[in-house]
Parts: sequence; C-alpha cells; structure tokens
Amino acid sequence: MVRAVQAGFAKYFPDKKAILINSDGGSTDGTHEIVEKTVIDDFQPLLIDRRQSLLSKIVTPYHGIPGKGSAFRTIFQIAKELRVKACAVVDSDLRSITPEWIDLLIRPVLSRDFDFVTPYYLRHKYDGTITNSIIYPVTRSLYGKHIRQPIGGDFGFSGKLAEFYLTKDVWESDVARFGIDIWMTTTAVANDFKVCQSFLGAKIHAAKDPSADLSAMLTQVVSALFMLMEEYPDKWKEVRSTDPVPLFGFEFSVGLEPVHVNVDRMIGMFDLGIKELSALLTDILSMDSMKELIETSTSNPFTFTDELWARIIYDYAIACHKKVMSLEHILKTLTPLYLGKVASLVMDMAESNALEVENRLERLCTAFEKLKPYLIEHWE
Amino acid sequence: MDNVFIEPLKRFIERIAAFLPNLLIGLILIIIGFLLAKLCKAIITRVSIFLKVDALSERIGILQALRKSGIHEPLSKMIGQAVYWIIFLSFIIIGLDALKMPAVENLMTEFLLYLPNIVLACIVIFIGYLLGNFLGRAALIASVNEGFAFSGLMGKFVKFTVFIMASTMALELLGIGEDTVLIAFAIVFGGVVLALAIACGLGGKDAAKEYIDKMLQEKKEDDDITHI
Repeated sequence: MVRAVQAGFAKYFPDKKAILINSDGGSTDGTHEIVEKTVIDDFQPLLIDRRQSLLSKIVTPYHGIPGKGSAFRTIFQIAKELRVKACAVVDSDLRSITPEWIDLLIRPVLSRDFDFVTPYYLRHKYDGTITNSIIYPVTRSLYGKHIRQPIGGDFGFSGKLAEFYLTKDVWESDVARFGIDIWMTTTAVANDFKVCQSFLGAKIHAAKDPSADLSAMLTQVVSALFMLMEEYPDKWKEVRSTDPVPLFGFEFSVGLEPVHVNVDRMIGMFDLGIKELSALLTDILSMDSMKELIETSTSNPFTFTDELWARIIYDYAIACHKKVMSLEHILKTLTPLYLGKVASLVMDMAESNALEVENRLERLCTAFEKLKPYLIEHWE
Repeated sequence: MDNVFIEPLKRFIERIAAFLPNLLIGLILIIIGFLLAKLCKAIITRVSIFLKVDALSERIGILQALRKSGIHEPLSKMIGQAVYWIIFLSFIIIGLDALKMPAVENLMTEFLLYLPNIVLACIVIFIGYLLGNFLGRAALIASVNEGFAFSGLMGKFVKFTVFIMASTMALELLGIGEDTVLIAFAIVFGGVVLALAIACGLGGKDAAKEYIDKMLQEKKEDDDITHI
C-alpha cells in the first residue's frame, strides 16, 4: 500500500509536495513501524526517472471515538492545517491498489476542479451486494446522482471539501464510528459539491474476517443512510430526476475470482425470517408490502421483485423516521429480507455478463426512482 | 328502663351527632379532592401538551415502548391521570382521617405504610414487562439472523423469564410468600432447564445430531460474498 502510494506520487505528481498520513487507532500489529520504514529504494524498475523529493509521512494516532470516522477527521484536520489542494483516502487492507489509483483519485480535483472523486470498481457480480441492492439505488434515487460506489471507501477530495467536512458536528455521533463513507458522499452531493467517479479496476481486499456479522454490518450501513435522510429531507424531496456522474479513467475488464454463493441457505433464512418475524414486520411494513412478501416466500421459482424490494426499503426508512420501535430492532429485521433479495438477484444474474449485470441493476434503480413519491408521501 | 334503653340510645345519638360533623368534613374533603384532582388533571394535561411532552416521548422512544406494551394513551394524558389519582387518593386519605375513627385510622396507617411497596411492586412489574418485551424481541431477531430454527421459542423464553423474574421481585416487595416464591421460581426454572436437557439428551439426540451436522455443513458451504 505505502509503496503504491509513493510510486503513484513519484510517477504522476513529481513536481508536487505530497504527504502520506497513517491515521492509526492504536493498533499493536506494527502498522506504524511498517508505514514509517516502507520505502521504494529503486524507482528504475517502475520506469520513474524524474522523482519528487522524498515522500513525507505522518504517522499519528487519532483521538475521539474509535472508528474509521475519527481517523478520517484527523486526516481532514491535517489537510486543513497544511492547506492541501487535494487529498485521497484509501483502505489499508487493499490488495489491488496500483500507483494509478493515486492519479485517478487526485487528478480530477487538481486539474478538473472536482471536489469529490468516488471510486468505480470492477467487482464480481455477486460482490458488494449491500451497495448494489440498497446503497446505490437509494442514494441515486434520493440525491439524483448515479454514484456507483457511494461507500467504496477509497475517495479523492479537495481541501475545500475537507474543510467543509470539519464544520459538521458529527464527530461524536455514529459517523465517527462507522458510516463515514456514505456520510462523505452524501454530504458532498447534498451540499452541491462537484462530484465525479474514477475507474480504478478491480477491488481486492485482504481475506474477509470470518467473524464479521452480516446483520451488524447491514444495520450500520443502512442506519447511516437513513440518518442522512433525516438531515437532508428538503434536499432529497425536491430531487425529481437522476443524472449520470462524469467517469474518468480507462475502462478495462479483468478476470475476477469466482464467488461461491449458497442460495438455498439464503432462501432458508428468508423463509425463517418471514415465519418468525411476521409480527414485527407488520409494524414496519405497509400492508401491501407485507402481503406481497408472504406471497414471495411461497413463490416457485423464488422471485423477489424489484418493486417490492424498493417499497420495503422505503417502508424501513419511514419506520425508522417514525421510530415505530427501537432503531436497532427495526434494522436487524431487515437481514433475512435482504438475503431473500440477494438470493433472487443471484439467480437472476447467474448467466449474466458484466454489462447485463449493470443493466439488471439499472432496472432495480429505476424501481426505486419510480417509487420515490411513495416515500415522500409517507415520510410525514 | 332508662338505664337499659334510653341511656345507650342517648349515647348513640350523641356519638352520631359528634360523628356527623366529622363525616360531613370527610365528605366535603373528598368532594374538594375530586374537584381539585379534576382541575389539576386538566391543567397538567394542557401544560404537558403545550410543552410538547408527547412529541418528546415519541422522540426518545417512551411512546413506542408503551405502545408495544399495549398502552395507547398519549403521555400527556397519562401524566394528567397520574396527577388526578395522586391528588384524589390523598384527599380520600385525609377525608377518612377526618372521621377520627380509631379502626379506620389504624387501617389507614397500615395502608400508608404498605403503599410504597405497592407502588414499587407496580413499577417493577411495569419495567419487567417492558424489559421482557425488549429483550425477547432482541433474542428473537438475533436468533433468526443466526438461522436458529427455534427462534420464536427462544424469544418467548427470554421474554417470560424476564417477566417472571420481575414478578418474583414484585411479590417479594409485597411480602407475599417471599422465600416461597423465590424457591418456587428456582425449582420451576431449574426444572425447565433440566427437562430441556433430558429431552435433548435422550429423546432428541438424533435430532440434535442432525441439526448440528446441518449447521456444520452450512458453515462449510458459507458464502464468499463481500456484502459491502
């Protein structure tokens, strides 16, 4: 990671001053020593002749609530103090980062006056399912921008936007713990900053943590999304159409590792959820949604329609807004329904290529856009 | 004849005559209390509405908790009702005290001493009910998300265990049964656990084996999906 960043600056911004910041939450696995010591000794194999002065590094622990948001706040503060023109943040567990990422995340800010650069990855059709089935369609429908990876985690942004982020009083809230990615994207879009996307190629992480709890992850991401709906109701209610966002970088295709999916298990979890949680779901969902959901559980072959899914997500947003019960309980009941929708999408896209998958997701997004008046009507 | 009938009758009439003003005062006090309670209830309810107590209770989740517990009254109305009963009951007690009857006075003293226990017991039962609902629901959702086949049973078990524990505490506060209730609870709870253990160990060992095998198999066939 450190070498990729260093090579990126040396190759694409040799005449600029650059600083690499490791905002650390007090890790004991030697991260800060690695960041401090890792350097590229020989730039010749990378065909880099004209190199900048040595990349400066700041390795600092962050303060405040433990979480990615607090780490980012430290980066924003340093960016403000140093009056940087552009900044990029990348996940530290990336395995597929290349020096080009630095160029693609920073150049749109420096040479095209964009304020926020979101990533556009090549991912396996079954990967990023929370993004594909909830975050992307909802963000697009609400704020009117086709940002394909709103919670990608690897962003570029201007110094002006970093300063703006610091003016927001969210650093003692859940944003500091989790949800910083969707918060950054939504804040940029809702406050009319210039947003674009950069094609970064494949996104490969370190092996996923087997103990990672899907339900907790889903709850965190969706609660952040809904929390932002509370903050910008006037903004998203007035958006009536959606527009593409400029995409930079050369689009190419790569072979992606196959992803194993246990569809039967997902449908089993969905059925169990409908059977056991129906009393709670009745309080959360509209009568029509509940009726259709029960019909879905008995459908053969199993089909979870986009219209029903969009209405369910809007019902959840409304239920959270009206606090029909504890927010955590509301959001945790979404897990089995989400698994049902993922199972349905997986079956739909089994034989699809990348383009067909995008077309399929386009249909899903259209369903969310068509149902937006339903959300607005029931919000108050 | 005078000593046998007239004297006691005279004394009785004298006592009645002495008691009547007290009764009248008592009745007047109770009527005043009733009217004052009504007035205070109306004022407090309006003040609560003016201070947007209902909106506040909705925002901090009290209203939802009450609604989930089967109480659909707005909080402003409930506060008004509570004020009404506190004032009215206080005046009933003052009114009864004004009768100056030793038996009633003793009864009232005992009742007043016991009253805090009744209030505390009601509070414990109410909190137990809310907590039982909340934890039962949390257990149900967590079990479903873990794919546990008997999630409904798990949720109910947690809910009723919390409620029974709260009831036991309430009965102990009221001084009913005390140790008996505690021992009975321990026996019943232990019995249920033992019965489940025996049922699983003997009757359901094949089913348990099948279930564990299935769980392990499912773990092996877990998804590689990166959801985020």
